[in-house]
Amino acid sequence: MIEVDQLVKTYNGTPALHGFHLSVAQGELFGLVGPNGAGKTTLIKILATLLEPSAGTVRIAGMEVGHNRAAVKQIVGYMPDQPGLYQDMRLREFLQFFADAFHVNRERQKAAIDRALERAELQDRQDAYVEELSFGLKQRLLLAKTLLHGPKLLLLDEPATGLDPIARLDLRRQLKELNANGVTILISSHILADLEDICTRVALISAGENAAGADGHEVIELAQPVSARVYEVEVAGPTDAAKAAAQSIPGINVISAEGSLLVIELRGGKAEAAALLRRLVNSGAEIVRFDYRSASLEERYQKAFGRPNA
Amino acid sequence: MNPMVRKELNLRMRERRGWVLPSLYLLTLGAVSALAYYISTDRGSYSELQGADIGVPMFLCVAYAQLSLLLLLAPIFSAGSLTIEKEQKTLAGLLTSLLTPFQIWWGKFAASLLFVMLLIVSGLPVLSIAFAFGGVGLWEVAMATVSTVVVLAAVSAIGLYWSSVFRRTVHATSVTYATVIAMTIVTFVVFIIAMSVHRGPGWDNISFGMKSPLYFNPIFFLTMGFASPRHLYPEWLRCLGVFGLLTLLAIGLTLWNLRKSGETA
Repeated sequence: MIEVDQLVKTYNGTPALHGFHLSVAQGELFGLVGPNGAGKTTLIKILATLLEPSAGTVRIAGMEVGHNRAAVKQIVGYMPDQPGLYQDMRLREFLQFFADAFHVNRERQKAAIDRALERAELQDRQDAYVEELSFGLKQRLLLAKTLLHGPKLLLLDEPATGLDPIARLDLRRQLKELNANGVTILISSHILADLEDICTRVALISAGENAAGADGHEVIELAQPVSARVYEVEVAGPTDAAKAAAQSIPGINVISAEGSLLVIELRGGKAEAAALLRRLVNSGAEIVRFDYRSASLEERYQKAFGRPNA
Repeated sequence: MNPMVRKELNLRMRERRGWVLPSLYLLTLGAVSALAYYISTDRGSYSELQGADIGVPMFLCVAYAQLSLLLLLAPIFSAGSLTIEKEQKTLAGLLTSLLTPFQIWWGKFAASLLFVMLLIVSGLPVLSIAFAFGGVGLWEVAMATVSTVVVLAAVSAIGLYWSSVFRRTVHATSVTYATVIAMTIVTFVVFIIAMSVHRGPGWDNISFGMKSPLYFNPIFFLTMGFASPRHLYPEWLRCLGVFGLLTLLAIGLTLWNLRKSGETA
């Protein structure tokens, strides 16, 4: 759905993107993470036809974005990082305007607007002014407006910023639903837990270039099982016996043993995990807790960029 | 109907200035008309006055006052049109919709000009009071209206151009007012300075180069519109050409800026 190759964008000689490449398949829910100023918004603006690339190729659904703006706009829904709404419009009026602006068929308009209001759960407030809505409801309205013309690709730039936890959960649910209905989604966010929950893959971007994670990969696969899993083992008393037992198993790496907590990296699946647990119990250690812990996206982000996400 | 035009008109008429400005405008025109009547009739015995002695000055006062007032108001409507979209972060939504830059421009321009037209039309009865006294015909009223509309179309287009250049309404409005001042006052001052060098008698003996600053002057344009039909050429028609070209230039530059405005959206 999205093919970006050797993309360069400069602002007055200062590069914002420098040789960036990206490939997003149809039906993916793809995340984009990187520090502030990494070039995420610039990339999304180029995909949304707002900016022209200085060099490189950008294709959406096989169409060169710069040469097929109208056709690209037909299939793309763009939600900017700073939500722009006409505060002095009524909700229905606002959606009506954008239905007209996106040439939504007159006969389908009422149904499309009703569905948008329903999706945003704002049917009861359709005659209210936009300015009367809370921030979370405004974001819902903006997403509903973005979906009015039935885009096949959604470009979302930091859509969860400023939302409360309930609104974030609601947004995640909506995005999963849309994705399940075949909408391809490219989303940039600083809230890594959100991306981890919904994305199939995440690309790292830093200083306008593709960045590699600790494993050397530029794209983190979130949907596929990883070969090395991390387990946390809590024991009653010292960890010495458990640590010795774990280390006696080939393919096991004891990451840390502090207090009563042992962190172990195990290569393999469920059978290997069961064998590890059996060995620990047989060593005489009193196991209080045995938990699987995946390397979170946040940890991978920290490994890639060296510091917590700003 | 272009959705931009509908949206702009709806929102403008919903604002308080949608009814406050026309009210103030009409009150001012009425006051000017009354003042002109008072001054015209204060010169001597009322029985010696012809109707035209009152009608013509009253008409001229109202026509010039109308143009001056609208030159003050037009930048308010046009210069903030695009900057407001940038300030409230809605320009990206327009640019990523299927609206073309021309449709966006036309929506803004039509809404600005239609509001000005509303003021002109609402002022026509005041302008036409002069009919009751005589000395003024439909031709004069029509020419005053046409000249005023052409000038305000150009000023609105220029305001929109500055609105496409700047990010803030305050900057775009200031520069639009500076442009209006340059057109009305600076051109006149330049002409006066040029005339002080030129010593030949008669308007027809003044060279085109010396007169050329006046072709940008809205007051001069209106004044030339009061000539008889066969005297509209050359001065009024030249002004018409200059204001037409200014409008076209401003449209072209605004569309160019709109196509490139993704960075500020």
